[in-house]
Amino acid sequence: MTIPRRLLCVITDQQSNPVELARMALEGGAGMIQLRRKSATGRELFEWALRIQALCREHQALFIVNDRVDIALAAHADGVHLGQQDMPASSARSLLGPEKLISVSVSSVEEAMQAAEAGADYLGVGHIFPTGSKEKPMPPIGTGAIRPISAASGLPVIAIGGIGPHNAAEVIKAGASGVAVISAVSGSADPVAATRELVKRIRQ
Amino acid sequence: MDRKQTPLPRLMVISSGEEHSSRQGLALRQSAALGQSAPVLYQLREKGLDAGALQTLCRQLASLIGLSGSIFTVNERFDVALATKAAGVHLPEASCPVDVVSKAAPSLLIGQSVHSAEAARLASKAGVGYLLFGPVFQTPSKVPFGAPQGLEKLRAVCKAASVPVFAVGGITPERAPACIECGAWGVAAMRPFFEPETMPDTINLFLSYLPS
Repeated sequence: MTIPRRLLCVITDQQSNPVELARMALEGGAGMIQLRRKSATGRELFEWALRIQALCREHQALFIVNDRVDIALAAHADGVHLGQQDMPASSARSLLGPEKLISVSVSSVEEAMQAAEAGADYLGVGHIFPTGSKEKPMPPIGTGAIRPISAASGLPVIAIGGIGPHNAAEVIKAGASGVAVISAVSGSADPVAATRELVKRIRQ
Repeated sequence: MDRKQTPLPRLMVISSGEEHSSRQGLALRQSAALGQSAPVLYQLREKGLDAGALQTLCRQLASLIGLSGSIFTVNERFDVALATKAAGVHLPEASCPVDVVSKAAPSLLIGQSVHSAEAARLASKAGVGYLLFGPVFQTPSKVPFGAPQGLEKLRAVCKAASVPVFAVGGITPERAPACIECGAWGVAAMRPFFEPETMPDTINLFLSYLPS
């Protein structure tokens, strides 16, 4: 399965009510929601996933789950996003089947080629700019990393890390198919407007 | 062999929960020791491991334990259980609902932790293969889960359940018969199995206190 061009993926943060955040992001025009909450119980994740999946269907948006392939299977999500420490993409592909979306976090050409080999549909590439959302021991990889990673793997790239309205257009110009954000939406006083603004910049 | 049709072993061994820190490698040595032991249920419960590391470990354990005649279950992550051909998944009480897991993973033996008679009744109806109830006695490892619930609560849970119940929390071989008397099918423990060298003997000691 492939992803639409100029996609905005809004990732849930560790504090907000994820269903409310998803509702606002979808209202602002986000094309994809990723449920990510490391501290939640399986029951919480499952119930949020059911509700967010229903909202995404209403908005013709995609819904994926971070790390938890079990939750994606249980809630019939559209796919999963896997970090380098998560289940290998090849295993996730066997469990989810050919129709579901699998994206993998990569920050180098080598990781990108491995992810492509393992059956990923697209790549989360970052962090592009400095970011406060996650603890990152590595320096940002910059927009210059996008094109080589996409070319070597043959897969579309969603850029992540430190992206906001001021630099969203720049990563699209640098070859990204889309953008993923956490704090640019969840940390905004007006998540609907923040999403709308990002979508506008990505489609410029 | 369909696990769901075969009587379960009377003893469940639960991994240390410290594979990511102070007891790295213990689960693998325990699994190897199971090759010389009577069959048990072995639950890998390692919430501190990332899914990738968990899956690598499960793959090793699934083949070792599968050969030993014991039954291997993974805590919560039925995706990892499916990917590594484990026999089952053990669900915490706050997990995906049992009926949903059963639909998504029909090949797995599904167990669940419960903390009340009502939860035991509901889980039995939803299609679990067994239940785990505790903490029955005082135990250091279950302090975060609250005060011991005691034998009478265990009796009420066993009465409400229509599937085998394992008692957990402060379990020793000597305490096992009291749990059986309350209607438990078997017992589960973690700490008595921290020494893989003596594990086959410890398992035999437990089994000597349990119905055959």
